[in-house]
Amino acid sequence: MEVGEKTMMLKRGDVAKLARVVAETREDEIGCDECFARLDRFAEAELSGSEARSLMPLVGDHLDKCPDCRGTFEALLAALRGT
Amino acid sequence: MGERTNDQWLADLRGPNPDQALADLYELLVRGLGAGLGSYGGGAGASAGDFAQEALIRITANLDSFRGESRFTTWAQKIAMNVALTELKRRRWRDVSLQELSARRETANREPADTQPSPEQQALQSTVLRELRRLVDEELTERQREAVVAVLLEGMPISEVARRMGTNQNALYKLLHDARRKLKRRMEDAGISSREVLAAFDEG
Ligand SMILES: [Zn+2]
Repeated sequence: MEVGEKTMMLKRGDVAKLARVVAETREDEIGCDECFARLDRFAEAELSGSEARSLMPLVGDHLDKCPDCRGTFEALLAALRGT
Repeated sequence: MGERTNDQWLADLRGPNPDQALADLYELLVRGLGAGLGSYGGGAGASAGDFAQEALIRITANLDSFRGESRFTTWAQKIAMNVALTELKRRRWRDVSLQELSARRETANREPADTQPSPEQQALQSTVLRELRRLVDEELTERQREAVVAVLLEGMPISEVARRMGTNQNALYKLLHDARRKLKRRMEDAGISSREVLAAFDEG
Protein backbone atom coordinates (compact mmCIF):
# COMPACT_ATOMS: atom_id res chain seq x y z
CA MET A 1 0.00 0.00 0.00
CA GLU A 2 1.29 3.43 -0.90
CA VAL A 3 1.91 5.96 1.79
CA GLY A 4 -1.27 7.87 2.52
CA GLU A 5 -3.45 5.43 0.69
CA LYS A 6 -6.19 4.07 2.86
CA THR A 7 -8.25 1.03 2.16
CA MET A 8 -10.32 -0.63 4.78
CA MET A 9 -9.66 -4.26 4.02
CA LEU A 10 -13.19 -5.30 4.74
CA LYS A 11 -13.41 -8.95 5.61
CA ARG A 12 -16.34 -11.13 4.82
CA GLY A 13 -17.80 -10.86 8.32
CA ASP A 14 -17.44 -7.07 8.22
CA VAL A 15 -19.33 -6.89 4.99
CA ALA A 16 -22.17 -8.97 6.37
CA LYS A 17 -22.38 -6.61 9.36
CA LEU A 18 -22.11 -3.49 7.27
CA ALA A 19 -24.53 -4.73 4.62
CA ARG A 20 -27.17 -5.26 7.27
CA VAL A 21 -26.90 -1.79 8.86
CA VAL A 22 -26.81 -0.17 5.43
CA ALA A 23 -29.93 -2.04 4.35
CA GLU A 24 -31.75 -0.97 7.51
CA THR A 25 -30.81 2.70 7.09
CA ARG A 26 -33.68 5.18 6.66
CA GLU A 27 -33.63 8.76 5.47
CA ASP A 28 -35.58 10.11 8.44
CA GLU A 29 -33.51 8.84 11.39
CA ILE A 30 -33.27 11.17 14.38
CA GLY A 31 -30.01 11.90 16.19
CA CYS A 32 -28.93 11.16 19.76
CA ASP A 33 -29.94 14.59 21.10
CA GLU A 34 -33.48 14.28 19.85
CA CYS A 35 -33.73 10.71 21.11
CA PHE A 36 -32.46 11.78 24.54
CA ALA A 37 -34.94 14.66 24.68
CA ARG A 38 -37.81 12.19 24.27
CA LEU A 39 -36.39 9.26 26.19
CA ASP A 40 -38.18 9.98 29.51
CA ARG A 41 -41.58 9.98 27.82
CA PHE A 42 -40.70 6.91 25.81
CA ALA A 43 -39.60 5.04 28.94
CA GLU A 44 -42.80 5.90 30.78
CA ALA A 45 -44.90 4.79 27.83
CA GLU A 46 -42.96 1.52 27.75
CA LEU A 47 -43.48 0.94 31.48
CA SER A 48 -47.18 1.74 31.38
CA GLY A 49 -47.64 -0.91 28.72
CA SER A 50 -48.73 1.51 26.03
CA GLU A 51 -47.19 1.07 22.62
CA ALA A 52 -44.14 3.30 22.98
CA ARG A 53 -42.83 2.25 19.59
CA SER A 54 -46.00 3.06 17.70
CA LEU A 55 -46.37 6.37 19.56
CA MET A 56 -42.74 7.34 18.93
CA PRO A 57 -41.47 5.20 16.04
CA LEU A 58 -38.41 7.33 15.35
CA VAL A 59 -37.23 6.99 18.94
CA GLY A 60 -37.73 3.23 18.72
CA ASP A 61 -35.79 3.15 15.46
CA HIS A 62 -32.94 5.17 16.95
CA LEU A 63 -32.76 2.82 19.93
CA ASP A 64 -32.44 -0.11 17.53
CA LYS A 65 -29.53 1.57 15.76
CA CYS A 66 -27.65 3.41 18.49
CA PRO A 67 -25.97 1.26 21.15
CA ASP A 68 -25.21 4.30 23.32
CA CYS A 69 -28.81 5.48 23.55
CA ARG A 70 -30.05 1.91 23.91
CA GLY A 71 -27.74 1.48 26.92
CA THR A 72 -29.09 4.64 28.51
CA PHE A 73 -32.66 3.55 27.84
CA GLU A 74 -32.20 0.09 29.33
CA ALA A 75 -30.50 1.48 32.42
CA LEU A 76 -33.26 4.06 32.81
CA LEU A 77 -35.94 1.37 32.59
CA ALA A 78 -34.16 -0.68 35.25
CA ALA A 79 -33.85 2.42 37.44
CA LEU A 80 -37.54 3.25 37.10
CA ARG A 81 -38.52 -0.33 37.88
CA GLY A 82 -36.23 -0.33 40.91
CA THR A 83 -37.29 2.94 42.54
CA MET B 1 -40.02 9.98 50.68
CA GLY B 2 -42.76 12.55 50.22
CA GLU B 3 -44.36 12.40 46.80
CA ARG B 4 -44.18 15.67 44.94
CA THR B 5 -45.95 16.68 41.78
CA ASN B 6 -43.83 18.03 38.94
CA ASP B 7 -44.80 21.58 39.89
CA GLN B 8 -43.84 20.98 43.51
CA TRP B 9 -40.45 19.63 42.50
CA LEU B 10 -39.80 22.68 40.34
CA ALA B 11 -41.07 25.10 42.98
CA ASP B 12 -39.02 23.47 45.74
CA LEU B 13 -35.84 23.32 43.69
CA ARG B 14 -36.20 26.91 42.55
CA GLY B 15 -37.36 28.16 45.94
CA PRO B 16 -35.37 29.80 48.70
CA ASN B 17 -34.90 26.53 50.63
CA PRO B 18 -34.14 23.77 48.14
CA ASP B 19 -32.13 21.63 50.56
CA GLN B 20 -34.83 19.07 51.38
CA ALA B 21 -35.79 18.64 47.74
CA LEU B 22 -32.13 18.29 46.78
CA ALA B 23 -31.59 15.67 49.47
CA ASP B 24 -34.68 13.72 48.40
CA LEU B 25 -33.68 13.88 44.75
CA TYR B 26 -30.13 12.80 45.56
CA GLU B 27 -31.42 9.78 47.43
CA LEU B 28 -33.72 8.85 44.57
CA LEU B 29 -30.93 9.18 42.01
CA VAL B 30 -28.56 7.01 44.03
CA ARG B 31 -31.19 4.29 44.31
CA GLY B 32 -32.00 4.59 40.61
CA LEU B 33 -28.34 4.39 39.63
CA GLY B 34 -27.91 1.32 41.81
CA ALA B 35 -30.84 -0.39 40.12
CA GLY B 36 -30.00 0.84 36.63
CA LEU B 37 -26.30 0.06 36.63
CA GLY B 38 -26.60 -3.21 38.51
CA SER B 39 -25.14 -5.31 35.73
CA TYR B 40 -22.53 -2.81 34.63
CA GLY B 41 -19.63 -3.55 36.97
CA GLY B 42 -16.44 -1.56 36.80
CA GLY B 43 -17.07 0.19 40.10
CA ALA B 44 -20.42 1.54 38.89
CA GLY B 45 -22.13 0.98 42.23
CA ALA B 46 -19.32 2.54 44.23
CA SER B 47 -19.49 5.68 42.11
CA ALA B 48 -23.28 6.12 42.33
CA GLY B 49 -22.94 8.94 44.86
CA ASP B 50 -20.52 10.84 42.64
CA PHE B 51 -22.71 10.37 39.58
CA ALA B 52 -25.79 11.55 41.50
CA GLN B 53 -23.93 14.62 42.71
CA GLU B 54 -22.80 15.47 39.20
CA ALA B 55 -26.30 14.86 37.87
CA LEU B 56 -27.83 17.17 40.51
CA ILE B 57 -25.65 20.00 39.29
CA ARG B 58 -26.74 19.40 35.73
CA ILE B 59 -30.41 19.01 36.67
CA THR B 60 -30.61 22.21 38.69
CA ALA B 61 -28.79 24.13 35.94
CA ASN B 62 -31.26 22.89 33.32
CA LEU B 63 -34.63 23.03 35.05
CA ASP B 64 -35.91 25.32 32.29
CA SER B 65 -35.40 22.59 29.72
CA PHE B 66 -37.77 20.18 31.54
CA ARG B 67 -40.79 20.13 29.24
CA GLY B 68 -43.16 18.38 31.61
CA GLU B 69 -43.70 15.48 29.23
CA SER B 70 -42.89 12.91 31.88
CA ARG B 71 -42.66 12.78 35.63
CA PHE B 72 -39.95 15.11 36.83
CA THR B 73 -38.18 12.24 38.56
CA THR B 74 -38.06 10.24 35.30
CA TRP B 75 -36.45 13.19 33.57
CA ALA B 76 -33.97 13.56 36.43
CA GLN B 77 -33.09 9.85 36.37
CA LYS B 78 -32.53 10.04 32.64
CA ILE B 79 -29.94 12.75 33.17
CA ALA B 80 -28.27 10.81 35.97
CA MET B 81 -28.05 7.71 33.79
CA ASN B 82 -26.48 9.72 31.00
CA VAL B 83 -23.87 11.19 33.35
CA ALA B 84 -23.05 7.75 34.74
CA LEU B 85 -22.86 5.87 31.45
CA THR B 86 -20.79 8.52 29.72
CA GLU B 87 -18.22 8.20 32.50
CA LEU B 88 -18.40 4.40 32.68
CA LYS B 89 -17.86 4.08 28.94
CA ARG B 90 -14.90 6.42 29.22
CA ARG B 91 -13.37 4.25 31.95
CA ARG B 92 -13.98 1.00 30.12
CA TRP B 93 -12.45 2.21 26.83
CA ARG B 94 -9.77 4.41 28.35
CA ASP B 95 -6.84 2.40 27.02
CA VAL B 96 -8.08 1.87 23.47
CA SER B 97 -7.02 4.24 20.70
CA LEU B 98 -8.52 4.35 17.23
CA GLN B 99 -5.09 3.67 15.72
CA GLU B 100 -4.78 0.55 17.80
CA LEU B 101 -8.24 -0.53 16.78
CA SER B 102 -7.43 -0.42 13.08
CA ALA B 103 -4.01 -2.00 13.62
CA ARG B 104 -5.69 -4.84 15.45
CA ARG B 105 -8.02 -5.34 12.48
CA GLU B 106 -5.18 -5.97 10.06
CA THR B 107 -4.09 -9.03 11.97
CA ALA B 108 -7.39 -10.31 13.28
CA ASN B 109 -8.59 -13.45 11.63
CA ARG B 110 -12.22 -13.26 10.68
CA GLU B 111 -13.67 -16.48 9.43
CA PRO B 112 -16.86 -16.53 7.42
CA ALA B 113 -19.96 -17.97 9.05
CA ASP B 114 -20.14 -21.72 9.29
CA THR B 115 -23.50 -21.99 7.62
CA GLN B 116 -23.53 -23.14 4.01
CA PRO B 117 -25.28 -20.58 1.82
CA SER B 118 -27.18 -21.65 -1.27
CA PRO B 119 -25.48 -21.06 -4.65
CA GLU B 120 -27.77 -18.09 -5.35
CA GLN B 121 -27.00 -16.67 -1.95
CA GLN B 122 -23.28 -17.14 -2.55
CA ALA B 123 -23.45 -15.26 -5.83
CA LEU B 124 -25.38 -12.44 -4.20
CA GLN B 125 -22.91 -12.32 -1.32
CA SER B 126 -20.00 -11.96 -3.73
CA THR B 127 -21.72 -9.09 -5.50
CA VAL B 128 -22.53 -7.29 -2.26
CA LEU B 129 -19.02 -7.94 -0.97
CA ARG B 130 -17.39 -6.49 -4.07
CA GLU B 131 -19.68 -3.46 -4.28
CA LEU B 132 -19.53 -2.54 -0.60
CA ARG B 133 -15.75 -2.79 -0.51
CA ARG B 134 -15.50 -0.53 -3.53
CA LEU B 135 -18.05 1.99 -2.21
CA VAL B 136 -16.46 2.21 1.21
CA ASP B 137 -13.10 2.99 -0.36
CA GLU B 138 -14.35 5.33 -3.05
CA GLU B 139 -17.36 7.10 -1.58
CA LEU B 140 -16.73 7.58 2.13
CA THR B 141 -14.55 10.28 3.64
CA GLU B 142 -11.61 9.34 5.82
CA ARG B 143 -13.55 10.35 8.94
CA GLN B 144 -16.56 8.33 7.87
CA ARG B 145 -14.39 5.26 7.32
CA GLU B 146 -12.76 5.73 10.70
CA ALA B 147 -16.14 5.98 12.42
CA VAL B 148 -17.58 3.03 10.50
CA VAL B 149 -14.72 0.80 11.60
CA ALA B 150 -14.76 1.85 15.23
CA VAL B 151 -18.52 1.94 15.81
CA LEU B 152 -20.17 -0.37 13.31
CA LEU B 153 -17.47 -3.02 12.98
CA GLU B 154 -15.60 -2.91 16.29
CA GLY B 155 -18.51 -1.99 18.54
CA MET B 156 -16.88 0.94 20.29
CA PRO B 157 -19.36 3.35 21.93
CA ILE B 158 -20.29 6.34 19.77
CA SER B 159 -19.54 8.72 22.66
CA GLU B 160 -16.00 7.35 22.96
CA VAL B 161 -15.25 7.48 19.25
CA ALA B 162 -16.65 11.02 19.20
CA ARG B 163 -14.32 12.04 22.02
CA ARG B 164 -11.31 10.71 20.11
CA MET B 165 -12.38 12.39 16.89
CA GLY B 166 -12.90 15.76 18.54
CA THR B 167 -16.67 15.86 18.13
CA ASN B 168 -19.76 14.92 20.14
CA GLN B 169 -22.04 11.88 20.17
CA ASN B 170 -24.90 13.52 18.27
CA ALA B 171 -22.63 14.80 15.50
CA LEU B 172 -20.90 11.44 15.15
CA TYR B 173 -24.23 9.61 14.89
CA LYS B 174 -25.16 12.03 12.08
CA LEU B 175 -21.83 11.44 10.36
CA LEU B 176 -22.44 7.70 10.48
CA HIS B 177 -26.00 8.19 9.28
CA ASP B 178 -24.71 10.16 6.29
CA ALA B 179 -22.23 7.38 5.55
CA ARG B 180 -24.89 4.66 5.76
CA ARG B 181 -27.30 6.66 3.59
CA LYS B 182 -24.66 7.20 0.96
CA LEU B 183 -23.74 3.52 0.86
CA LYS B 184 -27.40 2.56 0.64
CA ARG B 185 -28.09 4.93 -2.27
CA ARG B 186 -25.00 3.84 -4.15
CA MET B 187 -25.90 0.19 -3.64
CA GLU B 188 -29.31 0.91 -5.10
CA ASP B 189 -27.68 2.80 -7.98
CA ALA B 190 -25.68 -0.36 -8.61
CA GLY B 191 -28.95 -2.28 -8.82
CA ILE B 192 -28.73 -3.99 -5.43
CA SER B 193 -31.83 -3.51 -3.31
CA SER B 194 -31.89 -3.57 0.49
CA ARG B 195 -34.08 -6.63 0.37
CA GLU B 196 -31.47 -8.47 -1.67
CA VAL B 197 -28.70 -7.34 0.66
CA LEU B 198 -30.54 -8.70 3.67
CA ALA B 199 -31.36 -11.92 1.83
CA ALA B 200 -27.70 -12.38 0.88
CA PHE B 201 -26.61 -12.56 4.51
CA ASP B 202 -29.71 -14.06 6.04
CA GLU B 203 -28.54 -17.03 8.06
CA GLY B 204 -31.97 -18.37 8.82
ZN1 LIG C 1 -28.02 7.72 20.00
